[in-house]
Amino acid sequence: MTSYDYQEALKNAAKTMVRVKNPRRLLKMIVRFIVKEVGLSHASILMFDQLKSRYIFVDSKGSHRIPINLIKLDQSNPLIQWFSDPAPKAKLNKDFLACTELTSWLQNSEMTHHNAPLKARLLQLKDVLETLKATVCVPGFYKDELLGVLILGNKLKGGQFSLEEISFFQTLANDASMAIKTAEYQEDLLSKNLQLEKQKRELEIRLQEIAELRKKEQETYYQIVMSLAQEVNAKDPYTAGHLKGVERLGIMTAQEMGYDLSGRKKDVLVASLHLHDVGKIGVPDHILLKPASLTEEEWKIMRQHPSKGAKILEPLSGFKEVANVVLHHHENYDGTGYPDGLRGEKIPLEARIVSVVDSFHAIVSKRCYSKGQPIDAAFKELERCAGTQFDPHVVEAFIRAYKRTLNGKHHKEESAHRLAS
Amino acid sequence: MKLLIVDDEVEICDFLKSFFEERNYEVKTASSGQAALTAAEQFKPNVVLLDIKMPGMDGIQVLGTLKKKFPRMKVIMVTALETRDKIEECLRLGADNYITKPLSLEYLENDVREKIEALTSSGAS
Repeated sequence: MTSYDYQEALKNAAKTMVRVKNPRRLLKMIVRFIVKEVGLSHASILMFDQLKSRYIFVDSKGSHRIPINLIKLDQSNPLIQWFSDPAPKAKLNKDFLACTELTSWLQNSEMTHHNAPLKARLLQLKDVLETLKATVCVPGFYKDELLGVLILGNKLKGGQFSLEEISFFQTLANDASMAIKTAEYQEDLLSKNLQLEKQKRELEIRLQEIAELRKKEQETYYQIVMSLAQEVNAKDPYTAGHLKGVERLGIMTAQEMGYDLSGRKKDVLVASLHLHDVGKIGVPDHILLKPASLTEEEWKIMRQHPSKGAKILEPLSGFKEVANVVLHHHENYDGTGYPDGLRGEKIPLEARIVSVVDSFHAIVSKRCYSKGQPIDAAFKELERCAGTQFDPHVVEAFIRAYKRTLNGKHHKEESAHRLAS
Repeated sequence: MKLLIVDDEVEICDFLKSFFEERNYEVKTASSGQAALTAAEQFKPNVVLLDIKMPGMDGIQVLGTLKKKFPRMKVIMVTALETRDKIEECLRLGADNYITKPLSLEYLENDVREKIEALTSSGAS
């Protein structure tokens, strides 16, 4: 190869090294390239195996190639020592090792008595070179770390390597070392990245599991709350089994008012209609079921049931609106109700509807403290309290819807009872 | 100092042959279990370097036969296999050492020399 050829070859090799991400493949390419382009009996690459801290052959090509996977060179091997030991190496060139140079040194008359240790070392080194049939060895460093050794056989055309050729191999060896280190770092980064991704996925799965558990827990809690509500109703023999009727009347009223029941709004209304009295579970039976008027003290306790109900619903994250309706279903339109004395539109609409439907029920059903009254009397009572206790719009809508249903059925009393029950 | 090298990879046989010949051993090679038995019969080596993984008759079978026929022949297993079971089986069958590839040539040469020295000293006594 001419000087121009080497420069071209180097340029091409450098370009390839940038592209090849797998260092092993890169080394194989280098070995093939050298054997073919330079024309050698063989070329081999020794590479550092970090895991087992030894040097192994990763590739060897040519007629005198070294079998891959047969030999390892320990760090104590004379050849490895020669390159990795930073101690000065006599007058020998330490950037590469040429067999001819070594031989001439050993034959040199200067190699006298006091050089015995060095001579022994060089003899061992020569032995290794002969075993590997190496003419020239070129180390590849990254910083001060010996990453590998390029081992070259004879030139097929005969003759010694020129300095230009050796410097070409050195450049190749060092570029390859750089490429190997870069690939190692990239691989390291990649595996760290993968690990992070894995941890992230695991975390997501855990979070999802927690969310599902929470959901399940909430569902269970909701079941408990619903059975509490039924319990409360069952306690009062006159309202037992009325929940379905209350639900129907409430929805009817909301629709009559033109209230949008799409999405979750219907669920909130229905749940509120069912659960508004759930707090009564905290009211003692002797007050709740007393067949006479309540004393002031007893009323005080009775009036706690909306806030008790809201408290029961508190742990249900999806029931914030329902809890608010439950809390305010005894507020009056004129602000005289409890617990907060809210007025007018400040009271949630659902609570205003619950208030009317619940009161209607109380009037028409034969509760323990008063005899049941006919539907017309109940309407009159609602109208009388419209604007004070009740939202007049709700009362109006309720009566209109109720009457329309009655007319539609043509069975006044019967239907009324079915609706109310 | 007669050495028989058995490996189904001819490249390995050739490399080790030239390595030991340079160190004044008389070397023959065989690239199958059957060829190894024939060579052992005719050549009567002092030491056999024996690969385990070979097509047909494997190294463990060869080891068993060799040790039965030639109890004084030293057999060093040289193999890439490194499971506990294999090592134990080889030692049970009388293998004199077990060296895994990739190997250190220095260690291998020392071991072969040791085996031969042991033979000559025991033969002398």
